Amino acid sequence: MTNSIKYLLRRLGFYTIAAWAALTLNFFIPRLMPGDPASIIFARFRGKLKPEAMDALREVFGLTDGPLIEQYLTYLKHLLQGELGISIAYFPQPVGSIISTALLWTIFLAGLSLVISFAIGTLLGTIIAWKRGGKLDSFLPPALAFFGAFPYFWLAMVFLFVFGFGLGWFPIRHAYGDMVTPGFNLAFIMDALYHAFLPALTMILVSIGGWMLSMRNTMITTLGADYISFAYAKGLSSRKIMVKYAARNAILPNFTGFGMALGFILSGALLTEIIFSYPGQGYLLLEAVRAQDFPLMQGLFMTITLAVLGANWLVDIAILFLDPRTRR
Amino acid sequence: MATRFNDSVLVRWVKGILGNRKALTGSLLVILFVAIALIGPYFTYDPTAFLGTPISPPSFDHWFGTTGQGQDVLAQTISGARQTLLIGFCTGFFVILIGALIGGISGYYGGRVDDILSMLINVFLVMPGLPLMVILASWLPPGPLTLIGVLVLTGWAWNARVIRSQMMSYRGRDFVSAAIVSGERNIRIILIEIMPRMLSLLASSFIGASIYAIGAQVGLEFLGLGDVSAITWGTNLYWASNDLALLTGSWWTFVPTGLSIALVSFGLTLVNFGIDEVTNPRLISERKWRKHLPKSRLNNGITPVVRNND
Amino acid sequence: MRDVSFDIQRGEIFGLVGESGSGKSTVVQAILRTLTPPAIITGGEILLSGKDILSMSHREVLQFRWQEISIVMQSALNALNPVLSIHKQISDVLYTHRGLSKDQADKRIRELFDLVDISYDRLDSFPHELSGGMRQRVVLAIALALMPPVIIMDEPTTALDVIVERDILFKVLELRKKLGFTILFITHDLNLLLEFADRLAVMLNGQVIETGDVAQIGSGGQHAYTKKLIGALPSAGGKRKKDLLPQPKSLNFGEKPLLEVQSLNKDFVLSGFLRPKLLHAVKDVSFEVFPGEIVGLVGESGSGKSTIARLIARLIPPTSGAIRLDGVNILKSERTTASLEYRQKVQMIFQDPFGSLNSVHTVFHHLARPLIRHRLVPKSDLYKYIIDILESVELSPGALFADKFPHEMSGGERQRVAIARVLSLQPEIIVADEPTSMLDVSIRLDILKILANLRIKKNVAILFITHDLASARYLADRIIVLQKGSQVEHGYSEALIQAPQHMYTKQLIAAASPGWLSSKISDCK
Repeated sequence: MTNSIKYLLRRLGFYTIAAWAALTLNFFIPRLMPGDPASIIFARFRGKLKPEAMDALREVFGLTDGPLIEQYLTYLKHLLQGELGISIAYFPQPVGSIISTALLWTIFLAGLSLVISFAIGTLLGTIIAWKRGGKLDSFLPPALAFFGAFPYFWLAMVFLFVFGFGLGWFPIRHAYGDMVTPGFNLAFIMDALYHAFLPALTMILVSIGGWMLSMRNTMITTLGADYISFAYAKGLSSRKIMVKYAARNAILPNFTGFGMALGFILSGALLTEIIFSYPGQGYLLLEAVRAQDFPLMQGLFMTITLAVLGANWLVDIAILFLDPRTRR
Repeated sequence: MATRFNDSVLVRWVKGILGNRKALTGSLLVILFVAIALIGPYFTYDPTAFLGTPISPPSFDHWFGTTGQGQDVLAQTISGARQTLLIGFCTGFFVILIGALIGGISGYYGGRVDDILSMLINVFLVMPGLPLMVILASWLPPGPLTLIGVLVLTGWAWNARVIRSQMMSYRGRDFVSAAIVSGERNIRIILIEIMPRMLSLLASSFIGASIYAIGAQVGLEFLGLGDVSAITWGTNLYWASNDLALLTGSWWTFVPTGLSIALVSFGLTLVNFGIDEVTNPRLISERKWRKHLPKSRLNNGITPVVRNND
Repeated sequence: MRDVSFDIQRGEIFGLVGESGSGKSTVVQAILRTLTPPAIITGGEILLSGKDILSMSHREVLQFRWQEISIVMQSALNALNPVLSIHKQISDVLYTHRGLSKDQADKRIRELFDLVDISYDRLDSFPHELSGGMRQRVVLAIALALMPPVIIMDEPTTALDVIVERDILFKVLELRKKLGFTILFITHDLNLLLEFADRLAVMLNGQVIETGDVAQIGSGGQHAYTKKLIGALPSAGGKRKKDLLPQPKSLNFGEKPLLEVQSLNKDFVLSGFLRPKLLHAVKDVSFEVFPGEIVGLVGESGSGKSTIARLIARLIPPTSGAIRLDGVNILKSERTTASLEYRQKVQMIFQDPFGSLNSVHTVFHHLARPLIRHRLVPKSDLYKYIIDILESVELSPGALFADKFPHEMSGGERQRVAIARVLSLQPEIIVADEPTSMLDVSIRLDILKILANLRIKKNVAILFITHDLASARYLADRIIVLQKGSQVEHGYSEALIQAPQHMYTKQLIAAASPGWLSSKISDCK
């Protein structure tokens, strides 16, 4: 098993490098833009911020007068301490605390949608590949592909319009209503799910086509393999072959794809949140852009990147369990 | 040099693709929109002019109604196509260019070069796109060049990786070794021997990148990071949302644009399906020949026996 | 497949012989009814102990499979599910067909492992963790699990080395003697079947063209095709067949060697993160090739022969050693990249005729590019020159073939194009890396004849690399035997065959000669 641990550590190492690259990018972007970042900020918020606040802002960005290297190290030091600065839009709240609550909601919504979408999509793909040429096969792929062609937020708008404003079946904003108290009680959880329904539906509809198609394709390729005909020759039942032999192998490449698609899916989630005024990272991002709240923007970039990298690592662990060939 | 021009690689490939029903449908759909984008604006009202009463539903005067500012929605939808499609395809092109360059060199030469470039590709691949795009776009001056730049920066890695692995697989094959042994130069091998075999991959990568570019572009503009004074599909949606389309129930201000985006993306997706099927004929649904066999004898892993007297 | 009929007696070994495309694998799949759509069976009967497989119901077919008849497939790695352990892949037949409990199944599996000589600690291994030979034995164990009366063996040893192949066959025959099952053995290697089969059927283009017992077929049979198959097989031992291939007038090739390989070494670094392992593919190999000479490099897989080919063709750099062409050590004079001159003088033919041609280009392109690059022929004469070359390798009319794409030609034709390509540059030495292994048996001799003629007409030297000692015996003037990267013996071909010195050479010759089975049996006694 130590081979597996080595593999995981190697992957962790890679993610650390990627994280470092993101951090450094984050640091350099304001400095690469035309103009001096410090003056941009000052110009925007002159008069609105007290001198101490301005100093605090400078600190976070490492916009001191020292040499670049020193600024960089200060910046890294702050980040590692969890010091993300003070938000401009939500002044005087520190960026860190704003982000942490939002992060939970995003993980809840995106996580839920992702898992459901992947599970159902993969299942559909398996069934379709199994019943080749059935009615489902000619109807589902194009239909779901069509849904997948809509931008996430547009479909969100349509659903919100029809089911929220129009029919009034679902709430039109936020993660939970005013009548429940947050906490681990049933009423709250039910309410949260009720509020999450439409946004989740949007995300699932848009992404399910992709999972289904990719599972279908890998299944078809797998079904052509010799060990499948061997399994038939052994007199095993169709169902057993489909599950233990075909699907079990076909799902592996999809898992790797899952990891790589995480970043992409998250983007979709963010845009959906915006439409539904769902208090997750997406919503915050919009606020940050509108208010030109740079500390918040950069803080969000950091947390989202780290979240995606972390999720990727979890997928690597899952693959280790599923595919014995990686355990060599 | 090929004595059979009609059968040159490109011609054969295109013929093969157009023979596929899905690819053909998709291509027609896309060409339709491109035509609308090019010619349409000459036939509509000026999209920027404040012509009618704001937020009026579709009527004889304004087929798609008017926006919150009283502009004609049809005109906006048609005009918006130009910039969106232009930026979309340009981005697709640059993404392929960079992807093929980096992925191709990395895959072909291997060794140290590959180690470095691979790491670069992987790092860009794993970073989440939207936040990075948002940050970049918010610092940079708004406009088409910013959009293309930002989209290419966040989108090149995926295709680079795919091209790299395909290149690596070809590199190890005998026909490449044979070319090397016969003295062929590396550049020629890459361009004349390997690239023609990667036509399908490059085409479907271009299409995939364009789909991504259109979607991401619209997303950024919706957030207000594009040039909000320009007429594009994304800014149409931005203004619709800004003018509280949902609250006022003016669905016509955002539905046509959304549908257009979906139709173009769907058309491109269909073309990609078609290319997949041509490359891997097993993916084609077996509907046709299955009609000839009795239902009960299918799909249980046992070869059906159909005698002439059945 | 059309109108195929044959019958097999209980307890006999029945061989089905055919080349690629003959339909022999289709027959097997039809018997088990595992043909995948869009195939359908349109007529006939398949009777096993009186029961017709083709009229069975769904459930009956599932029961019938594996209990009445099982199969050992060609590539063991492909036959096994990569994500399940060996234990599970054997036990699922036991659970499905016999409904055994876990303990009963375990016991049975251990019995099976004993039968095929695998140790118990491999029970929980996965397919990729086992060697090729071990995997084949696992597949054998699975086939024996329910003790079916008939076992089909579909090219079970084609991908294995000659010596390993003989070992496994011997094991199979041993087991048969002990357990008494009937074998239907499918292969393209007629030589093999002549050793141990009782009766044979020969297939061509989807039909059975001849059936008979081994003695009948072995002496040539009745059909022309059978005669051709028999006649195409030179053997590695016994008396030399006269005039199989054209020979040069004299075996004196001069004093100065054309190619000299000295202390050649090649190591490969296998992936290992902290402590990389080294694979010593070529260990201190030295030999010479004189102008106009054919030298055979013979060895099994892992012997390093293909690596040597690639080293001489300068596709990979050696770890150490010298390669001298016309006296000059090219590793010193053109260290990083091979010169154009080298690329003209030293050419290579590859094993896979389809793989060495680029499917998107015509034959003309394949031949024209190198000529243009080396500026050997002015553009105006290019077309005629190419047509002439094509006709010289028996691709006539040349104009017709020049316009063809690789997929429009047969395997033999493609290999001839490869030879033409190599010829057109007028090289001094050709490295031929297993040029006939992927071709059908009936055309191998044709290709070898072309090479032999080439050598005589153009005085070009050939380094003939193969695992088939028999073809080296007839084509090459001298033979060098390789084992695991090192030279173990070398000498003039016929002399080496008649009087081998090294143990390994002796083993190779024995395995490739008629009578290997009885000699093995006598070895055991």
